[in-house]
Amino acid sequence: MTETESSPVIFHADLDAFFASVEQSDRPELRGKPVIVGARPGRRGVVSACSYEARAFGVRSALPISQAVRLCPQGVFLPVRMERYIEVSNRIMRVLEQAAPEFCQISIDEAFMDFSGTARLLGEPGEIASLLKRRIRDDFGLTISVGIAPNRYLAKMASQFRKPDGLFRVRPGEEEAFLDGLLPADLWGVGKKTAARLAELNLTTVASIRTLSAGMLSTLFGKAGGSFLHHAVRGIDPGIFTAETKSRSLSSETTFESDRRDAAGLKKVLLRLAHEVMFRLLYEGLRAKTVVLKIRLENFETVQAQETRRHWVLSAEELYAAAVALLEKKWNWKTPIRLLGLGLSNVTAGKTHTQGELFEEQDGRKQKLEAAVLKIRRKYDKVNLTKARLLEQEKEDPSGSREARKPGKEGEKRRGH
Amino acid sequence: MKFTCEKEPLLREMLIAHDTISTKSTISILSNVLFIAEKNSLKIMATDLKVSFSSSVAIQMKQAGTIVCFCDRLMEILRSLPDGEIDFSLDENQVLSIVPRTTKASFRLKCISADKFPAQQEVEEKQFVEFAQKDFIDMIHKTIYAISDDETRFFLNGVFFEKGEGQLNMVASDGRRLALITKNAEKVSGNFPGVIIPPKILNIVRKNASGEGNFQFAITEKNIFIKLENRLFSSNLIEGKFPNYQKIIPEKNDHRVHVKRKTLEESLKRVSILIENKTRSVLFQFGDKNLVISSEESEIGKAQEEIVCDYTGPEIVITFNYFYLLEPLRVIEDETVEIEFNDARRAVILHPQGNHSYFNIIMPLQGE
Repeated sequence: MTETESSPVIFHADLDAFFASVEQSDRPELRGKPVIVGARPGRRGVVSACSYEARAFGVRSALPISQAVRLCPQGVFLPVRMERYIEVSNRIMRVLEQAAPEFCQISIDEAFMDFSGTARLLGEPGEIASLLKRRIRDDFGLTISVGIAPNRYLAKMASQFRKPDGLFRVRPGEEEAFLDGLLPADLWGVGKKTAARLAELNLTTVASIRTLSAGMLSTLFGKAGGSFLHHAVRGIDPGIFTAETKSRSLSSETTFESDRRDAAGLKKVLLRLAHEVMFRLLYEGLRAKTVVLKIRLENFETVQAQETRRHWVLSAEELYAAAVALLEKKWNWKTPIRLLGLGLSNVTAGKTHTQGELFEEQDGRKQKLEAAVLKIRRKYDKVNLTKARLLEQEKEDPSGSREARKPGKEGEKRRGH
Repeated sequence: MKFTCEKEPLLREMLIAHDTISTKSTISILSNVLFIAEKNSLKIMATDLKVSFSSSVAIQMKQAGTIVCFCDRLMEILRSLPDGEIDFSLDENQVLSIVPRTTKASFRLKCISADKFPAQQEVEEKQFVEFAQKDFIDMIHKTIYAISDDETRFFLNGVFFEKGEGQLNMVASDGRRLALITKNAEKVSGNFPGVIIPPKILNIVRKNASGEGNFQFAITEKNIFIKLENRLFSSNLIEGKFPNYQKIIPEKNDHRVHVKRKTLEESLKRVSILIENKTRSVLFQFGDKNLVISSEESEIGKAQEEIVCDYTGPEIVITFNYFYLLEPLRVIEDETVEIEFNDARRAVILHPQGNHSYFNIIMPLQGE
C-alpha cells in the first residue's frame, strides 16, 4: 500500500477563461483572437472575462471597459451571455459530478472533486484528470486546468499553477516544496493588503513566512490572518472551502450606461436580474430565503437592503416582487441610480440528495483502516519524510516521472507570465 | 464480379451492416461493406473495428469477385427500389452498376478495391456453444439499461456475462444500481470466466434475433462471437475487472413489500411529471398497508399518489432516482413485484414476486 493510495486525493477543476472560451467555442472564427466579454465599449461597466489572447495585452477581469479598449483596441468586445455560460457550465459540471465519488461545485467554472481511495477502482488520479480534460475538450471544445493535491486549498493553487490547460499534482510530502515555488502573493487568500504588508516586513518568500511562529504571525496579521498564514504556508488547508453547507450567495448586478430614475425601466431591470439569479439558483439545485437588493446612487453611495422570507424563494416572479418591495422601501424614486444588484443570500443546498454508491459500501471499512494505518505511519515517518525531500532538492530528480517537479524552476516560469 | 439477386434479402443484411459500421461522420474504409461473390452466394462483411458483422445471401452468380462499397448509399439505393431482382456487375474501373429489373433506374456506384478492408476476428468452430435465443434476448433486455456511460468507469460500460454452475448470469451496473439476471444453462457445455461485453453488439443482436430456437456464441480471450442463423457477429470485450457484485447483494432484508407492477409503474409516471430534473428524486413513504409516492416540493409544484401495499412495519421514507425504478418496472412482465429493504440508506432490492432469478439492487438517494 503506497501512501498516495490511502491519503486524500482532491481535484480542483477550473475552466480556463470560461466565458471567453465559450464564446470562442460557439464562434470558432474568434479562436486565437483577444475576446473580451463584458460591458459595451464606450459605455460604463467592466470586463467580466477575457481570453488569454486578451490577457496578453494586460486586460483583466473587473477592469473598466474603457481601459480594456485602450489596452486592446483590436479586441473583440462581446456582451455577457450568462444563460449560455450557465447552460455550458451545467453540462460540464454534470460530467465532472458523474466522474467523481464526491463533488462540490464552488462557482460557475470551478469545482472540487474527491477521489480519495479510488486509485485501484478508477485508476491513477493523473490519468483520471487527463481523461476528464480530454472529454471536456472533445465534447465542449473547452480547456480545463486541474490541480490534484491532498487538500482543497493546495488543489486550488495547483490548478492555477499551470493554467491554461494545466494539470499539476502535489503529492503528499511535497506540500511545502510546492509552496516554496510560489510567491507569497500567489497564496490563495492573500489579498493586496496582506501581500503589501508581507513585502514591507521583507517576507518575500513562502519559506520565510514559515520561519515565523504562529504567535508572531498573529501579532503581525491579527488572529485570523495569522492563523491563516501559519496554515497556508505549510500546505494545511486553512478552510477557505471546507464548509460545503456554509451559506453562500448568488447575485447579479447591472451598471447603467447612464444613471436612471425611471421606475418602469428600473423594474424591468429587476425582473431581468430576478430571472438570472433564479435561473442559476435552480440550475444549481439550491434554495434561499434571503433577498438582497443593492442600489448604488449617482454619488456612489451604496445602499443594501435585505429581507428574509418565511419560505424558500421559489420563482423569479416571487423574487422580483420582493425586490420591488425593497426598492420601494429604500429609494426615494428621485435620486438617479447608477447600479442595481439583486441577489439571494444564505443559499443552501436545500433538500438535494446525493446518490448512494453500491460498490463503496464494502470499501468503507477498508478506507477507515487505511486511514488509520496512514496516520500511524505518518507519525512515525515524519522526520524521515522531511529529510528525503531536502535530499531531493540537492540533486536533479532522476526519475522525471514525478508530477511535482523542482519547485524553484516552476516558480520562475510562473513569474514569467 | 457479376450477379443477380433479390432486393429484399440483400437489403435486410445491408441494414444490419449499416447498424454495425462506424456511425461517425468521417468517412473511412469503415463506412463500407465488403462483398465477396462466390459459389452462388454473396458474403457481406461490415466492421467498425470493434464490432463486426458478416452474413451471406443467395445469388445467381455469373462471375465471382470481391469489392468494397459505400454502405450508406448502397443501402439507400436498395431501400428506394421496388421488390424484385437486381443485376449487379462490376467493371474494371471498380464501378458497380446496379440495375433493377423492375424499373428503368440504373446506378453506377464507385467502389474501392477489397484489399484495404480490415480482416475479421476469427474463432474455431468448436468453441461455439448453444443457448436459447429467447433467454439470451431476455437477459440483454433486463440488464442493458443499467450500464454506465461514464467513460472513467469503463469497466461498467458493458454487461458482465459469466457461466456459473449450470447457469448463465448477466449483470449490469452504473455503480448506483445493478441489474442481475440468471438463466438455467445446464445444456451449455463448459465454463468461461466472466467477461464484459460492450452494449453495441448486444443491441444489434437483440434487434435482429427472431427469438425462436437456439443460437451459438463463443467467448475467447478478447472477443465474443454470436451466430444467429447465417449471421455472425463479433465484438471486442471490455478489458478490466467488473466489481465483485456478489458482495453488494444484501443478505438479509427486514422488510418485504408487494405491489402491483402496473400500478406502481403508472403511479411513478404520474408523479414524475412534477419531479425535479436534476436529482430525479422520488419519495417512497411506506406506511401501514400503504405506499405514498411523491415528488419533492419544487418551484413547479408537487405531485403525490397513494397506492395499496402489504407493508406493516414502522413508517419509513426512502428516496430514489426515479429512473432507477422505472427502468426495471418497464421490463418486468410479472403482475406483482417485491421491494425488499432495511432502511433508507442501504441498498434496496426490486424483483418480480416469487422470482429471484432477476433482480435490481438500487442505492437510494441520501439526504443531508
